Parts: sequence; C-alpha cells; structure tokens
Amino acid sequence: MAERGGFGRGFGGRGDGEGGRGGRGRGGGRGDRRGGRRGNKSEEEKWVPVTKLGRLVKSGNITSLEQIYLHSLPVKEHQIVDALTKDLKDEVMKITPVQKQTRAGQRTRFKAFVVVGDGNGHVGLGVKCAKEVATAIRGAIILAKLSVIPVRRGYWGNKIGLPHTVPCKVTGKCGSVTVRMVPAPRGAGIVAARVPKKVLQFAGIEDVFTSSRGSTKTLGNFVKATFDCLMKTYGFLTPDFWMETRFSNSPYQQYTDLLSKQATKAILPPTEEIPPVEV
Amino acid sequence: MGEVILAMPGQWAHDYREKADHYTSKIGGLPDWPDLDIPVSGKLLLCDFCGGKLCLVAQIYAPLSMAERSIDERVIYVLGCMKKDCGSNPQSWRVLRLQRCKQDIESKDEPLKAEQPEEESTSVAEDKPTSQSSSVKVCDDEDSDSDIDLDDLAQALEQAATLASNSKKQDGTKHTRKIVEGPVAKKLIDDLTTPVLPCFYIYSQRNSSEGRMDKANFVGGSSISLKEIEKSSGNESEGESWEGEAYEYDKALGADRTYLKFKKQLDAYPEQCFRYSYGGNALFPVANVPKLGACKICGSARRFELQLMPPLLYFLQEASDDSSNFSIDGWTWLTIIIFTCPKNCCSGTCDEKSSNSCRCIVEEEAIVIQDD
Repeated sequence: MAERGGFGRGFGGRGDGEGGRGGRGRGGGRGDRRGGRRGNKSEEEKWVPVTKLGRLVKSGNITSLEQIYLHSLPVKEHQIVDALTKDLKDEVMKITPVQKQTRAGQRTRFKAFVVVGDGNGHVGLGVKCAKEVATAIRGAIILAKLSVIPVRRGYWGNKIGLPHTVPCKVTGKCGSVTVRMVPAPRGAGIVAARVPKKVLQFAGIEDVFTSSRGSTKTLGNFVKATFDCLMKTYGFLTPDFWMETRFSNSPYQQYTDLLSKQATKAILPPTEEIPPVEV
Repeated sequence: MGEVILAMPGQWAHDYREKADHYTSKIGGLPDWPDLDIPVSGKLLLCDFCGGKLCLVAQIYAPLSMAERSIDERVIYVLGCMKKDCGSNPQSWRVLRLQRCKQDIESKDEPLKAEQPEEESTSVAEDKPTSQSSSVKVCDDEDSDSDIDLDDLAQALEQAATLASNSKKQDGTKHTRKIVEGPVAKKLIDDLTTPVLPCFYIYSQRNSSEGRMDKANFVGGSSISLKEIEKSSGNESEGESWEGEAYEYDKALGADRTYLKFKKQLDAYPEQCFRYSYGGNALFPVANVPKLGACKICGSARRFELQLMPPLLYFLQEASDDSSNFSIDGWTWLTIIIFTCPKNCCSGTCDEKSSNSCRCIVEEEAIVIQDD
C-alpha cells in the first residue's frame, strides 16, 4: 500500500481516548463563552440532527408531528418522532427466521416486525432483517418510528363524543392480501384477526369491522395491508375537505426567512404559495 | 488506504477571526494561508454564482506520503457562499488544494512559545506517543461531567510540545515533524470584509469497529425484552404461521436503503464533522450521483478524499445564534463530497523555479448532495 492519506498522521493519530476529552473540552469552552448549558450527556441530548427538519425540531421550532404531516415532509431521523410524540409504545409482532441457501449450508437471519403507536392516531410499522434477533428488533423499532403516520378517525352515526371508528370504508392492499375496514358503531370493538387487531389498537381505533381477502397466511403482507389501509384514511376526500385550502408556508421557508432577517422576531407574511400536497 | 478517519469537533476558537497556522485543521474562521509567493488570487475567493465573497467552511491539513514522494505541506480549503440562493447551488462551493511541490529536507522549525498554548493547535509530533499520552492522561482520567481544568490541559499540552521540540533536536528526522505551536498572542486576521463562520478546531479519530454501531443503534426505553419474544412466539396455537417470508431490504416511508446506511454510519459517531479517507469510498446518501469531472491539469480521473457531514452544519448553526452577520440556513446539504487529483499535480508554472520549492493552488471538485 504505497499511498496513505495523511490526514490522521497530520494530527499524530490521536486515538479513542481523546474522544471524551475533546468533547468535554469543547463543552467547556462553549460554556465559558456563552453561559450555555453544559451537556449532561444523557442519551436524549446526544442527538446531533442530520437533516434540516431535524435541526428545526431540535431547536424547538416545530412542536408537533402534524406540522410535518401537513407539508408531507419526509422524516429521515427517528429522533424527530421521539422528540415530538409522548408515550409511543412499541411491540414486536413477530420474529421469523429467514433462510438463504448458500454453498456452505443455510444462512439464517431474523426478520422482526415491530409496530409502534401512541393509541391516539399515530401508528408506525417497521420490518427489519438482521443476523441477530436483538439487532433486528432495534432496527425495526427505528424503522417503525420513521414510518409513523396519522390515522383519521370518524363516526359511525351520531357525532357525539370523540371519533371512534374509521371515517369511511377504506381498503388497503399488499401482495395478494386486501384488507377492508368498515365503520362500526360504538361498542362493536375491533372485529379483526389477531394480527391486524394489534395494529388497529395501536392506532387508536376503537370500533371497526374488517374483511380480508387473499392469502392472509402470509402475515407479513397481512399486516402491511392493514397499515396501508390506515394510511389511506387521510387520503380519502370527504365533504369536510371540500372547502378551499388556505396554504401556509412550509417550515423550511418559514424559518429560513425568520432567521435570515437578523434577529427581528416579527412574523413575516407568507412569501409564496405552495402547491397542494397530499397528506 | 480504505481506512476512514473521522474528524470530531474540538475546542471553539476564542475569537472567530483568530489566526492559526496552515497546519491546523479547523472549521469556520478565516483561512490561514501559508507564506505564498503569489497571494491567492481574488477570483478564487469569489462565488461563481453571485460574485460575493466566499467564506471558509473547512481548512484541512492533509499531508500525503506516497511511494515516490511525500507532500507534507498540503492543505485543503473548502469555501462556500452564504447568500440565500447560493446555498443549494453547487457552483458556489469551491475547494482549493494548496501544496508545496518540492520537499524540503529541513522542515520548518517553529520556535515554541510556551506561555499560554491554546488548545486549538492539533498537529502533534507522533514519534513519542507514550510520553505524550502520559502527559495528556491528566485529562483522560476525568470521567465526571464537571468542567475540565483548562490550566491542566494547557500544562499538559505545553509538556507535550516541549517534548516534541526536544526530540526533534536529538534524533535525525525520519518523518517531518509537526510541532505543537502555541501562538504568542491571539492574533487576529485583519480582514473585515470576508464573512466569517464560527470557528472551532478539529481532532481526528479512527473509525473503530462494528461493535460501536450496535451500541449506537440502541434505542433507550424500549419496552421489549427477549423473554417477551419467546412468549409471543409460543402463541402460535391458533393455526397462524408466518409463511413465505423472505429477506427484505430496509425501507421506511421517508428514507430509502442508501440513506439508511448513511444514517447508520452517522449514528455510530454522531458528532463527526467530516470523514477523511484518501482514495477510499465515499458514503453516498442517495443512489444517483452526478458525474465527476477530470482534473483540469493532468486529466486523470479524480479520487475521493473527504466528505463533509451534517453535524458540522448543526454545530455552526448552534454557534450562530448570538451573532447575526450571516445566515447559513440556506445550506441544506446532506453531505459535500470532495474529490482530488490522484497525482497531486500542480500548475505548470512551478517547474521553472529550480531550487526553491514553490506553492501552488489547484482547484478541486466538490459534489454537493442536497437534503430534499
């Protein structure tokens, strides 16, 4: 290996032991200078956001997931969802071994299905394959958090109390499995097979009738079809949405304008119209 | 050659305009040009798109040792434009590689001013690692969250610096020494027209093994334990069987497989400011990558050298809360990947000078990948 990049050599190759010192020293310097808080190194505060949306969430400019859903911004960091939702529960639905035939025998990996949700309109589904069970579960939780979607709930009949069922008949499909959800009166409960029932409970739907078709034995597809069905609840145009939308600035534009104006804190008028996005 | 070196954030500079030397790697601040025969031409410091002045984003000291020759005086400067529209335009970024062509046998022996060595200088002679590490261990033993005693740190660095200079005088040189330099006073660069980003210094860290990544992936507060899994897998009495599952690539609603791999590397070391891997492979967050140009001077295909990572933006943005001279909110890049000429060629003019080594500046290429 004739060539060697010298960047590390230029520093004399400080090893791992310097990591803590550098971090603490840096915190010290900043603390002295700005009087800011010293990092107390809990897991929470170690999050260094990667995307623009992450930076906005970390700085507290975005306070709810609904602002993200309104503009259909892709969520690329699971810490965003952690920061914006309270009490998000997760559950492993299944871990199956998945095998691949190699010349030296079979290679087994584990596939984990995890559903996360807060029981109040937000649910996410994550699927991850990994060589070890624990890695698969951790990865699936992260993927589930990245896929959290809002679930629209409505009424079966009288609009008394809080919404408890799906707003209309919706159907979702994955592979050969189609799942159809039909609004149910209060007290009907979730009438579904065991696997989609779990997902619907996490979503916060209290009463629903379901009907499924296709090879529901492939439970991976079954649970994904249910999830797809829930995604469609907010995509269905009902007369409530007939009113013309008033467009607002996406958080990116809103906060760019604000911060570039050199410390004036006035709310700026919307600068441009954004084309309608599907939520 | 395939090894990746990560740059972690070090000390903040006391003043953003303070002068370091060109052996220092830092983010922000003003560029430290080594003594040049011809000063850096103005055109190179202007934005291609809007014509305004570029500011220094990163200055990286990157010496090389190749088979035929070693270039020890090689610095890479990454310059960017802070105006609103230029942030997303790849034309407004510029990467300069500055190197000394002919190698001097005697390296510069900077006199050590050991009065108040600031912690900023990060080039340390490496021939006496044990003695240095013993002196620096003063700080490593602390694992509490209290403030570091900066006097101890200064003292330790001072000791390391004196050791380095003493050893240089004693042995014959095999490597060129980079000596810890304590600037006498905080000299400021008198350039008030150029925009300046908050400045902090960089130290390097090797990218360690896979075990780190598994730890980093741990999500605190999970309500799942392995025992629960075994219990739930026992509940298969109802005749359900999860059949027909095959391997599936990672996918999320907003993130695809390539991005998730990028994020996994970032999660292993969440504070990495840039990744350096001369001739190695870049970490692309998106699958399609624009095509590279070839080196303008020698025509050879450029090779990956380093890439800037998003935590850099986060740190700069955090620091910019107080001052209001600029806004880097126009910067929404996920990564900036820098490719350099593999032959380290220099512009033709330096062949004429025979005895003295000359310095030349070559413009290299950067690919800016945006975060949509």
